[in-house]
This record gives sequence, C-alpha cells and structure tokens, in this order.
Amino acid sequence: MTQVLEDVGATPDDSVAVETRGLIKQFGGKNAVDGVDLRVPRGSAFGYLGPNGAGKTTLIRVLLGLTHADAGTMSLLGYAVPQHRDKALVRVGAIVDEPRFHPHLSGRDNLAIMAAAREPAAAGRVESSLERVGLSHRAQDKVAKYSMGMRQRLGVACCLLGDPELLILDEPMNGLDPAGMQEMRELIRSFVAEGRTVMLSSHLLDEIERTCDAVAIVDHGKVIRQGAISELLSGTAFELNIECSSPEEARSVLAPLNLAGGSLEISEGAIKLGLAPDTKRDVIADINRRLVEGGIAVYRLEANQASLESWFLEVTSRLGESE
Amino acid sequence: MTAPTALVRTGSDRDLAADHRGSPLPNGAMIRTRMMELRKRRGLMWALIIVFVGIPTIFLTVRLIMHGVDPKAYQPAGGYDIFNNLISAVLFILGFIVAATLGSYAGSVDLNEGVFRHLVVTGRSRVALYLARIPAGLAILVPIVAAGFTIVCAVCCFAAPPKLNFDGLSVPSGLTRTAFVQYAGAHPGDVVCQLPSRDIPINVPCGPNGIVTNPKRLPPGLKLPSHTQLVSAAEKIAAQNYRAYSDAFRVPSTSLMIKTGLWVELEAVIGFIVGLGLASLMGQRTVPVMIMIVFSLFLTPLLVHTVLKHFINVQRLIVGAAMARIEPRSLSPVYGSNGPFDHTSIPMSITASVAVIVGWVIVWTALGAWKMTTRDV
Repeated sequence: MTQVLEDVGATPDDSVAVETRGLIKQFGGKNAVDGVDLRVPRGSAFGYLGPNGAGKTTLIRVLLGLTHADAGTMSLLGYAVPQHRDKALVRVGAIVDEPRFHPHLSGRDNLAIMAAAREPAAAGRVESSLERVGLSHRAQDKVAKYSMGMRQRLGVACCLLGDPELLILDEPMNGLDPAGMQEMRELIRSFVAEGRTVMLSSHLLDEIERTCDAVAIVDHGKVIRQGAISELLSGTAFELNIECSSPEEARSVLAPLNLAGGSLEISEGAIKLGLAPDTKRDVIADINRRLVEGGIAVYRLEANQASLESWFLEVTSRLGESE
Repeated sequence: MTAPTALVRTGSDRDLAADHRGSPLPNGAMIRTRMMELRKRRGLMWALIIVFVGIPTIFLTVRLIMHGVDPKAYQPAGGYDIFNNLISAVLFILGFIVAATLGSYAGSVDLNEGVFRHLVVTGRSRVALYLARIPAGLAILVPIVAAGFTIVCAVCCFAAPPKLNFDGLSVPSGLTRTAFVQYAGAHPGDVVCQLPSRDIPINVPCGPNGIVTNPKRLPPGLKLPSHTQLVSAAEKIAAQNYRAYSDAFRVPSTSLMIKTGLWVELEAVIGFIVGLGLASLMGQRTVPVMIMIVFSLFLTPLLVHTVLKHFINVQRLIVGAAMARIEPRSLSPVYGSNGPFDHTSIPMSITASVAVIVGWVIVWTALGAWKMTTRDV
C-alpha cells in the first residue's frame, strides 16, 4: 500500500481525505509527532484535539510540507506527500498557526498575493471568498487595522481561494469572541454541508464537540483515540440529575436498586447518580416511580451523556495512571 | 457573515494543469503581486526615491539657484565634474546600499511577517516563490535608478560650464594632443602647477595664482627655472596627461552617459540580488543590511584600493573590484587608484570581471533559493 502511494501518487481509498501511518517528527531527539496513524474521513469535520504542546501544529506542518517528517507515510486527498505535494495541495486550503498577512496591505491585496500562487482561476475567487467570510465591506482596509477575529476570517477566505476539497485549520477559534466562535462554527459546518472536508486542530474540547463529526485525541505527540464523536461517547457512563424535595430520603429510597457501578452525590436540593453506559431507559423510569411512590416530589429529572471534555479527562487520566 | 453559498468550482482540470504548480519558474501574476507588495511599502519606496532621485535633484537644484543668483561666485550647476561626483558618491555607493536594502526586504519580508508558510501551502514551488521577487524588485529598482540618472544627465549637460575644468585647470575641451601640448606651452605656469607629473625634474613654487614669481616670496635658495625650461616641462607634463585629458569632458558625452547608466544600473541590480540572497539565507533583514553597508563602504574600498601581493586572486573575487574594472574609463575611479595614471588597483581582465559579477549573481541567488527551499517554516 505504501509502495502504491509513493509510486502512483493516489490512494485507493477515496473515502479518506488525510491519512498518516507511523508518522514521526523529532525535534532535538524528542518526538513531537510520535507514530501517528490518522484517518480523516472525506466530507467530515474532523477535530484534532489536544492540549497545548501536544504536537497538533507540528503534525499539520508536516502534512503540508512546511517541515519534513522523520519517518512514516502520509497522503492528502489521495496523493502521497511529500512526493506529490504540489498536486495534493492544489485542492487544499490551510491556516497554520495564526493567520498572518502583510499588515500594510488590504485584505483584498493579501488575498491577491495568495491567489497568484494558485491556479489562474483563484484570482476570480477573491471577491466571493471575502463575501463568504463577511469581509467584503472591510476588504479595502489594511490588515493592520483588522481585529484577531477578522484575521481569522481572512485566513479562512485565503483557504477558499483554491476552492478546496480539504481545509486544514489550526486553532481557528483562537482569539474569537463567543459570537465570532459561533460564526466560525457555522462557517465550518457550511463547508462540510458542501461536501468539503474540514480538519481543525484545537485545544477547546467544547468547540470540537460542537463542530466536528469525528475526532482524534492527541497527547505528547501520540493519537490516543480517534473515531466519530458519537461512537466514542457511546461507551461512556452518563449522569442522572434529580432535583427533588428531599435528597436524603431519595438516597434511602434508591438504595435497594443497587445501581451497577453507580456513584451517588447529594447536594442541596438535588441528587446526582452516575449510571453505567448500558443502563436501560426503563431503569430511569423505575427511579422516577420509586421516588414518587416514596412521597418525594420530583421537580426535574435529566439524563446527561458524558461530554467530550469529561471523556477526554477520563481517557487522559487513565493514560496517566498506566504510565 | 453571509448565508452559506457554495463556491462555484471555477478551476477546471485544464486550468490546474496549466498553472505548473511545481515549476521553479514564477508566473506573471506572482511577479505582479510581489511587485505590488513592495511598491506599497511607502518607507522603503521613499528611501529609494530619496537616494536615487531626491539627493541628486536637491543638490543640482541648489547649484542651479546659486549659480543663477551669483554666476561669478558660483560655478554652473552641471558639467562633467558634477556628473562624475554624483555618480561615484551617490548613485554608485549609496545606490548599492539602498538597492541591497530593497533586496533584503524582498528576501525576508514573507518570513518576518509569517506569510511565507501560507504561500508554501498553496503547493507552489518554493524556488518559484523566491525567484518571483527578483523581477518584481528589479521592476521597481531599475526605473527609479534610471529616473535619478536621467535628471543628473540632463542638468549636467544643459547647465555645463563653458570651459573644461581639468584638474583645476580651465582649458578648452576636445583639443588634439598637439593642440593640448601647444596650449600647455602657452600656459606653462598653470600646467606645471596644476597637473600631476611623473619623472620630470622641475621644481617651482606654486601659489593660488600659479607660479610664485615675486623674489621676496620665494623660499631661500630656490632658483626659478628659465621660461624655456618651464615651457619644455609644461609640454612634457601635458603629453603625460593627455590621456586623462581626453577622457575628461566639459559635458559627459552621450556614449559616456549610456555606459555610466548601464554601469550604475548593474551595480544596483547586484546590490539587490546580493541583499535578497543574504536576507533569505539569514531569514532577516537588519543584519544583512548592516553587513552590506560595512562591505560597501569600508571593506570593498579597502580591499580594492590596495593590492595584497599573495591575495590578489582573492581580491579579484570581490564584486567591487570587478565593477571597478568595468567602470567607464572617463569616470574617476570609484574606489580611488594608485595614482593619476593607474585607473584601477586590482589588475584583471574584462572577462574575469564579467565572470566575477555573473558568479556573484548566480551564487547569491542559488544560496537564497536553497535556504528558502530547505527552511522549516
């Protein structure tokens, strides 16, 4: 398979936009990217999630040929890189680190410079790209006057110049206010709706969860888990929050249930039950019935799936214990 | 932001095939936009314009005004000497430094402003990204140098003095050797006192108005030569200086202006390319500019002016020596000389000097391109 990638420049698997195998990048003998195997499905929003310094940007830089890999193979849109890098990047738009531009030039002029390095048709996409990210009215202003959020949007506009099938965005939410984050989220989702693939790195778990379909968790240069977010979270425990008239009484009422592996926390006016992933819905109904029959007024009963954040913390803490 | 509207896929496969993304040669759009990026750096453009156009213009305008106000006290604004001085002091030396500064900017600005990586991720060849800066920079530099040079030529031709000033000697221009020797015979005191000589044994006291003839002012024991001895010496001195005289003009000739213009442009081009290569190599512009200033103002004059016997071949590799070798002969030696009869200090053939210049251009371009290709960004 690797041989095919290197010789022909095309991967047989059209369902994958980005693929790496055993990718290693070292700095001073230390692995910044440590044997990463990654598969980014086409047409998805894929989150590359990890804490600061986990090697997210390094992986992106290696993928885009900004620095070389020390070992492993990789492909973008079916083309092996770095062997067929020029062909692969024709339909890739990317922001690496923060988007930076010539500050003395306008947003439009900056895009013109970027477009000139692409195919001739890219120059014709400058205006539509600016419009798409909502910068048409500020296109003549110097980038030096742009806010961080506007620069992020200009970076996205820059990515759109090549009419990309794959967008690689490095921390696109950095420096954005909540409204800006919301807009960026919608923009990314709209790209996916058009059939493009978006791979974005972030340390913001909540944003990844809201934006992406699939995720890879990376720490210390290694991918710990990857897959669709729904699949990853389906095996996790969930919580049952019950607001009731007497949490203490509720505990004694629920004690005979012997909830497998369940934890129980009591706070003022509420009780929180941790339930096993395979807990059936009937159990929740049974809990409600027992409380009511026990004379306890139930004001609110809410089942919450564990968030990506809590799952991430769980996974990384397990990793820490095993080390 | 606007409601999502799918971008129309306007790039056909044919379009993509035609853009030669991996080619090391830049396309026209890359050169045009790069030129636009440099042109909109106002500070840099002003520096270029001030050195190449502003300084000569201001200098010549002041001279024009002073001569217009008091023609007897102030010489005409133009003429060959002024042309010579402006070329060697401003357009050549300062021009090299400013051209190198422009090159350093062009070579480092994408790295310093973090734009280079965005250009690289387009898949465009890094060599093409680098090479696009050369025609773009030169398209700005060459016309500005030409504009400044044209102003110098125009004033020096149209506001020239009526007589030739040759080493302080006011003499008619365009004389033949015989006529020049005859002129010396008619003005022996001026010639003996003003012109340099070699192996002519004559010792006369000179003052501001030529030979001192008042016996009271003569140094003790000094005997004035006879008129015949003086005329004979003046004619010999004139013969020795005729070559330099024939290269001196009341106004620069058309041929000299063309040669000088090309020479000054070549110096600016070399400065730009060396600056570009050095800045690309170092990834910054401040240190390269300082290196170029030291190299241009101090090291080159020092190394080109004095022959170091066992290092002469190393000295020949200095681009300043090569440029001095192809300097138009009618100009004063830009880095000085070993005397009035020795135009250049480092002996080398024209072929060798051309080879050195071409070598500098190729080596610095290659070094810059290599570093930009291998640099982690």
